[in-house]
Amino acid sequence: MGTNVEAQKAAGQSQLVSGRSALRIVAVGAVLAMLAILAAVDSRLAIMWLFGLAFGVILQRSRLCFASGFRDIFLMNDAGTMRAIAIGIGIATLGFWLVMQTMVADPGSGALPAAVHVIPIGLHLVVGGVAFGFGMVIAGGCVSGTMYRIGEGYVASWVAMGGILVGLYLAARTWNWWWTNHISNMPSVFLPKWLGYGGAVGLTLLALAGIVLLSYWWEYRTGPMPSFALGKQAEPPAMELGAKLRQVYGLVFGKGWPIAVGAIALAVLNVFFYIFDRPLGVTGELSIWSDRIASGLLRLQAPALLGAEGLSGCNLTVGMGSWWTSEGLFLDGGLIIGAMVAALLANEFKVRVPPVKRRYVQSAIGGVFMGYGAGIAVGCTIGAFFSAIPSLGLNGWIFALSLLPGAYLGVRVIKRIQ
Amino acid sequence: MKIDVRGEICPYPMMKTAEALKKLEGDEALEVLTDHAPALGTIPWEAAKNGYETSIEGAADSEWRLTLRKSEKAAKPQELIANLQEQLAALNVSE
Repeated sequence: MGTNVEAQKAAGQSQLVSGRSALRIVAVGAVLAMLAILAAVDSRLAIMWLFGLAFGVILQRSRLCFASGFRDIFLMNDAGTMRAIAIGIGIATLGFWLVMQTMVADPGSGALPAAVHVIPIGLHLVVGGVAFGFGMVIAGGCVSGTMYRIGEGYVASWVAMGGILVGLYLAARTWNWWWTNHISNMPSVFLPKWLGYGGAVGLTLLALAGIVLLSYWWEYRTGPMPSFALGKQAEPPAMELGAKLRQVYGLVFGKGWPIAVGAIALAVLNVFFYIFDRPLGVTGELSIWSDRIASGLLRLQAPALLGAEGLSGCNLTVGMGSWWTSEGLFLDGGLIIGAMVAALLANEFKVRVPPVKRRYVQSAIGGVFMGYGAGIAVGCTIGAFFSAIPSLGLNGWIFALSLLPGAYLGVRVIKRIQ
Repeated sequence: MKIDVRGEICPYPMMKTAEALKKLEGDEALEVLTDHAPALGTIPWEAAKNGYETSIEGAADSEWRLTLRKSEKAAKPQELIANLQEQLAALNVSE
């Protein structure tokens, strides 16, 4: 009797396992089928899809989270994620330099390389950065973080995404005020115009090195920190091909990647994406989703946006054509699906329902703050920070510095809403 | 004491653990059930700063049970998490 039950249990388990394997095969198959369809329609869309998938896989496997980069400085005295991000930005800066050099050989002429994320500096970056920094801590993830967590099965992240779309809509409604009263009067500062590429890249790398040093000082100023690198064991060598291939697969989908590997991979992806089209960014496309829902479904048409189209970066867009005319759909969609497939392959997908209702409220409110901030600052932690600093614009630094007080405020608030 | 922080968004698994640690009396251990992988790095760290050693075991797919015990090695946080990397490697996850 007992053995019978155990046998049944074992059979059930193996069914469960094969069910999971089947799901993985279906998921990978669907992603490849989508790739084939897109390749047949337009190879650019297929390439966008591949970039999106890679974006999602990198974020999910390394759990590169810009919110924790800023938040943990205050919450845990831990600046390790920020250090990894600074290293990633440094690598992207070198890559962007080479791309920009081929487009505009003499930056002193005042010409801007195409698509570079250099926008006017000003209060919109400060207000947007503080709002974004606050929102990402309240919602437990920035915009790209929310997207990969949707792929991992976090239900609260869906709600945060709803908030982001609402925030982007509110930003579109108030954009013309910001543009007329402030942004249109402010200068864009492309550092190579004054310093040359060498000077601007050198200064940027110096500042990033300063952040790395500061991050160590911050961690050690209250005493020695525990080190995580201790006792790491090497795997025994594989003795046959099958075992070796399993080991290699395990490197990618077994253990998570160190966060610095994720940041460096994202930097390389960013450079490739700039070579292909433009610097990475996700919120420009989300503003199109927000506008389609607001104007198409809810009949809440935002006014035509002054000056937004002339800005390079993740500018707000209203009044686009159909859903399918936007290439960015496949980048942003690819991010979510890529993260989901990576989570499935790593056995980390799980529908996670928050145990308390206030997490939904919190995620929604955080999302609105992020959406509004990304709207007026022309980008999120990807477009206005991770792509803007390598673009050698002053705007990236102003946005980054503004994220800090926002994140600090957010930490004060989340400590009160247990 | 046992707490179940499954479903919680970042960084509540770590914060709720820190809160619970304050409520422990004497040599009481704390058991934390979580499905948030990043917490596998943050909870042992927070525990070590408070003189607790963490052992991690897989509870189900994408769910882990962390047991935090007061340690005599309390003076040295490094030692409290020295074997963390091995524990995570054995479970095939990383923080």
